[in-house]
Amino acid sequence: MKRTTAWAAIAVLTVAVAGCGSGSDPGSEESGKTTITFWDNNGGTRTPIYQELIKRFETANPTIHVEYVGIPIASVQQKYDTAIAGGDTPDVGGVTTSYLANLVGQQALEPADDWLGKSAVNGKLAAPMLDSVRDTVPDGKLYLVPGTSNLDVVWYLKDKLPEAPKTWDEFFTDAHELTKAPDQYGYTIRGGAGSIFQVLAEMYAYSGVTEFFDASGKSTVNDPKNVEYLTKLAGLYKKDTPEADVTNDFPKMVAAFGTGKIAMMHHNLGSYNDQVKAHGADKIGAFALPTGLSGKRTIVANPVDGFAVFKGSEHKDAAWKFVEFLVSKESNSYWNQQTGQIPANTEAQGDSWVTALPHLKTAVDALNDPNTAVVSPPYYLPQFSSITKADTEPLFQKVLLGQMKPQEFLDTMAQKLTDAQAEWKKATGG
Amino acid sequence: MSTDVAIRPGRAHAPQNRSRRRPRPKRDRGRVLRLYVPLGLYLVFTLIPFYWMVVFAVRPSGSTTPVPWPITFEHFETVWNDIGYAVFFRNSVIVGVWSLLATTVLAVMGGYALSRFRFRGRSLFMVVLLCTQFIPGAMLLIPLFTIFKTLGLINNLGSLIVADTVFNLPLSVILMSGFISAVPFTVEEAAMVDGCTRLRAFLAVVLPQLRPGLIAVGSFAFIHTWNNFLFALMFVSRQDSFTIPVGLSYTIGEYSADFGALAAGGVVAAVPVVCVFAVVQRYLVTGISAGAVKG
Repeated sequence: MKRTTAWAAIAVLTVAVAGCGSGSDPGSEESGKTTITFWDNNGGTRTPIYQELIKRFETANPTIHVEYVGIPIASVQQKYDTAIAGGDTPDVGGVTTSYLANLVGQQALEPADDWLGKSAVNGKLAAPMLDSVRDTVPDGKLYLVPGTSNLDVVWYLKDKLPEAPKTWDEFFTDAHELTKAPDQYGYTIRGGAGSIFQVLAEMYAYSGVTEFFDASGKSTVNDPKNVEYLTKLAGLYKKDTPEADVTNDFPKMVAAFGTGKIAMMHHNLGSYNDQVKAHGADKIGAFALPTGLSGKRTIVANPVDGFAVFKGSEHKDAAWKFVEFLVSKESNSYWNQQTGQIPANTEAQGDSWVTALPHLKTAVDALNDPNTAVVSPPYYLPQFSSITKADTEPLFQKVLLGQMKPQEFLDTMAQKLTDAQAEWKKATGG
Repeated sequence: MSTDVAIRPGRAHAPQNRSRRRPRPKRDRGRVLRLYVPLGLYLVFTLIPFYWMVVFAVRPSGSTTPVPWPITFEHFETVWNDIGYAVFFRNSVIVGVWSLLATTVLAVMGGYALSRFRFRGRSLFMVVLLCTQFIPGAMLLIPLFTIFKTLGLINNLGSLIVADTVFNLPLSVILMSGFISAVPFTVEEAAMVDGCTRLRAFLAVVLPQLRPGLIAVGSFAFIHTWNNFLFALMFVSRQDSFTIPVGLSYTIGEYSADFGALAAGGVVAAVPVVCVFAVVQRYLVTGISAGAVKG
């Protein structure tokens, strides 16, 4: 009897496990409805925005159901890599140019060129963003339909800084004059995770160098004017910035700025909602990185964020239809208005809410200024991510702590980038 | 040390002079310095992160006061309704409880075999069990994903239960074998001499004495499963099947960080675990120390 009870318990356990959470397979066709899966590459904060858009899409397309899955941004690359290796990719995925080359290298994505040529949004997506996407991959095809881009800005508290600096000299002067340590600091440096991209943006904005590699393939990261800027920036640390900056990743930096004790913080348009929540819309302002020594504005292009259709999708028509919907004027405008970023759809860029938000108007004006030079980072290099994160972030901390000279740091990074570029050219015959 | 007043032989015990104050033993002061001060400091060090978490969870966004006032529960509302913690919490409980049960049952079975039987390859088996602890879960992601896909367990909480149970088992089996070894075999033998089968003898005699060990193993299995983020994210691709650790990671976006929601989510994740440990702590300490004696 007891033996029977034991076996019965094991059987119940087995059945319960098998029944846990099982549901209908995504992508199945039930009663004429096609289900496609969409992975949001920044799940959580933007989930309500996509849920609203999906509701609108399904109302307009009753035969298509979109299954939304939010992937935390910190793990999205690993999630995609695992899915590709396991053969379980979604139909549509949110992708940025910072890891596009990795996905294309695994032959996971469907090129969008043919589709775009016949689409209603053809000619309505920002050309710089399309170029930026094509530049990221060796074959120059469009594997990612852009939905948004970003711009580095310096957020500042209006009650501490009534007028934004226009030049780098004014910026350093303001950072110094606004510091009354330990209660107030003029600036905060991102010294932890994600530091290198911000430093690159600042250096190139200061120096005015417009290419990442010169004609011979050597990296321009250690250009003398870049070194000059880095020396000035390192000089701010602990004098006009908090000592804790050396370990500042994005959350810590935003949290510190949210206390109201820091007058200026370099980040991008994407943290607009956070700034408004912490300080109030009327107390916060933003300015694009000041013009540099050349007198021209130089911008290091932020990763372009958009949508890709995966090769393994069994419902490509429905997938492309969804992508087209997401980058249409209404949807693209809605999405970017909610997030405070730059729409990829040029018709959406002309909407009134864009000009009504001062920081966004600043960004769009800067991007559309014919005098602005855009420097494209080499996202196509497989080693770019590791060079700008694991390899050099600790070295930047040493620079801040005075344990390494700026010249030595930039020489190291430049050499790594030069070697990676040479390797890439050899591999692709470029 | 006795503090009684010495009694002279042959004399009646004289009553104590209650007006005289007994001198305070010196060792009390030393005990305070040796024991309570370090414990207090360690407690402060441990509790500060929890205090930070609770403060951020109940104070309004943008507030910087160390004491949260006014108190708001908007962050809890955000995580429970907007982010979807109600679903994540349910999934975490399902996976945690099933993993606890499966790990405990299998650990008892495996631990009994290791403890009571001497078979060829026993030592090698134990070494292999220990060595599996050195393999990080991330290394096995793709092979496990492929296996679960073949079994149809992707997007199924069963994959998390199986994966977490498998990763909990090696240490649990070794721990449980130690607990079982602490129970003399003669007691079991006596039951078998009286007519019990081995299984009956185990259930009647040994199992009741394993309560601290069962609670220790079960608690560790539950905590490990509750906190597991990697498997929960990789083996599941449905919004309604994610668990709490995945939900917590939603609060830090690419360009925004909602610290209030993150802290509220942390409180929601921590409360069940703290309650469980509050109940089982005396068994846990007994279990860990008992298991450490014999292995």
